[in-house]
Amino acid sequence: MSLSIIPSLLCFVLGLVYTTATVLLPDASVGRAYEPKIFPMMLGIALIILSLSLLLRELKNQSAGQDKEKVSLYKEAGFQKILMTCLFSVLYTLIFDKAGYVISTVFFLEMELILFNGKKNWKVNTAVAVLFSLFIYIVFSKLLGVYLPLTPGIWI
Amino acid sequence: METLSFLLDGFMVALTPMNLVWVTIGGFLGTIIGMLPGLGPATGVAVLLPLTFSMGPTAALITMGGVYYGAMYGGSRASILINTPGDGAAVAATFDGYPMTLKGRAESALAVSAIASFIGGVFATICMVAIAIPVARFALKFGPAEYFMLFLFALSATASMTEGNRLRGFIATILGLMIATVGIDGQSGVSRFTMGILELQSGIDFLIVIIAVYALGEVFKSFKNIDTGNVNVQKKFGKIWLSKEEWKRSVWPILRSAPLGFFVGALPGAGGTMASLMSYNNEKQLSKHPEEFGEGAIEGLAAPESANNAASVGAMIPMLTLGIPGSGTTAVMMGALLLLGLQPGPMLFQQQPLIVWGLIASMFVGNIILAVMNIPLAGLLVRVLSVPPKILYPIVLGLAFVGAYAISYSVMDFYLLVLFGLLGYFMSKTKFPATPMILAVIVGNNMEQSFRRAYKISDGDIGIFFGSPICLILFSLTVVSIVYPLAKGLLKKKASAVA
Repeated sequence: MSLSIIPSLLCFVLGLVYTTATVLLPDASVGRAYEPKIFPMMLGIALIILSLSLLLRELKNQSAGQDKEKVSLYKEAGFQKILMTCLFSVLYTLIFDKAGYVISTVFFLEMELILFNGKKNWKVNTAVAVLFSLFIYIVFSKLLGVYLPLTPGIWI
Repeated sequence: METLSFLLDGFMVALTPMNLVWVTIGGFLGTIIGMLPGLGPATGVAVLLPLTFSMGPTAALITMGGVYYGAMYGGSRASILINTPGDGAAVAATFDGYPMTLKGRAESALAVSAIASFIGGVFATICMVAIAIPVARFALKFGPAEYFMLFLFALSATASMTEGNRLRGFIATILGLMIATVGIDGQSGVSRFTMGILELQSGIDFLIVIIAVYALGEVFKSFKNIDTGNVNVQKKFGKIWLSKEEWKRSVWPILRSAPLGFFVGALPGAGGTMASLMSYNNEKQLSKHPEEFGEGAIEGLAAPESANNAASVGAMIPMLTLGIPGSGTTAVMMGALLLLGLQPGPMLFQQQPLIVWGLIASMFVGNIILAVMNIPLAGLLVRVLSVPPKILYPIVLGLAFVGAYAISYSVMDFYLLVLFGLLGYFMSKTKFPATPMILAVIVGNNMEQSFRRAYKISDGDIGIFFGSPICLILFSLTVVSIVYPLAKGLLKKKASAVA
């Protein structure tokens, strides 16, 4: 299947799910019972119609041989790095409150810098990760008054 | 007269030492972000927004204004020196800017870009001063039905502007509106599309979507080209200024492009990219030496730079006076206003004149400061370009996460950040434009509320949406915005079939 069909197909399914979810919404207890459903209903139906027309157009293009581009996303350069970034982000989220801003951010940036800049440059990576985390912490927490989670055990 | 006295008050606000410092810091940071390949003003404002959280609304807006202009200046630096535009609006600057650098005329290119941007920006700000109040006054006549139709027009115009991908533009818009419907409905208390997740009851913060799409999405895209080696940036410059001959060649293109840019920028959906490309083509047609375009013609850089900056100011008009952002960056700016508890629209001019006029005055001030910063300090600023993106992108990621945290103080938003970052990435991979979606996320809630209010007033009669002349005009404009590109496309097809 060509890559160009998948998004329109996904949007079509989303349109169906969204419209069904709209129908299943509870009635409003004040005012007209169906009022919270009108706007979403319009959106759901619009998405179904639009994605269906896109799907038909893509299929037509494909059968006319105009669109033979077949791209496997996972084979594309950098896709694995994107997945790794997502994984690091989830880990970052999990330790953010517990380890505190500075430690969790040093870890996250170190990982990201390995992805971007390579393991060989670990000295630069570590320096950037530590300096950035401390700098942001001091600017936000101390100067701008934005609360960032404290790191237990140490003064920051 | 009234306008002038407001403007004077605005200058009093913008010229306080603290605000001058903020606009300078904002401009400097914005310049750095803007220089990064792929990152433009929208990303700059999105990731630097948290810096303003503890400021008062005026200082916050002035700082963001500085970031906005700074990022535009930075974007053209990168276009001229290393041929990597930060965003669509800076693309036209590469056409002749980069060839100028290759020919050893980087000094003139940097100078003309700063001067043209300055003139374009100042001209547009003067136009804005002249028309902001009349537009805001007119908008006071709008009821909820008119507002709904206005939103409809703005969104459909934006979607149909996405060249070659109109259908995708409309789908992106609907997706954005759908995102805005998640959460507890303010009027009825019904919880919608939260899938039982407690954190989603207060809705999906549009700032999270913005930061995700513009920062994470762009970083994801950068992985593909990150290993293409280091770029050599010219770091030593002679005197950055123009010769008499160069000035003579640039002055008219700059002056012609400023009003064009302003007008195009003020239209919903058009924005800087279209303004700069239009002015480039315009000058090429008017030029006596069209063959020099693309080979380092100074007019070819002066015109789009002027138009681009003028458009960025023009785009502020629908945002400030009507509450409708005309471009990705103004959408982010509107997000900043909403975050500060200010609702852009005609009432803003009445209720918060000092804030609005302070912002407008700071556009003058910001343009001057950035021109000053960018001409003599160009050599220093472009050193940022030699810091490898491999190090700067992780930093942008770090800024995105701290920004998301500062908005809600909840790590749950990190998951949304990653999800929408991926959405932004896949959208760009599959040629779905992100800007219409961002605009829709921002105005979605207001659009639905206007619809519901009008529906209530008319007691369920949808005739109210066609009941006033303003509604009818807006409806016709909506139809035209959809039909015109379609008809144009069909005619083109026919013409090529005949040929």
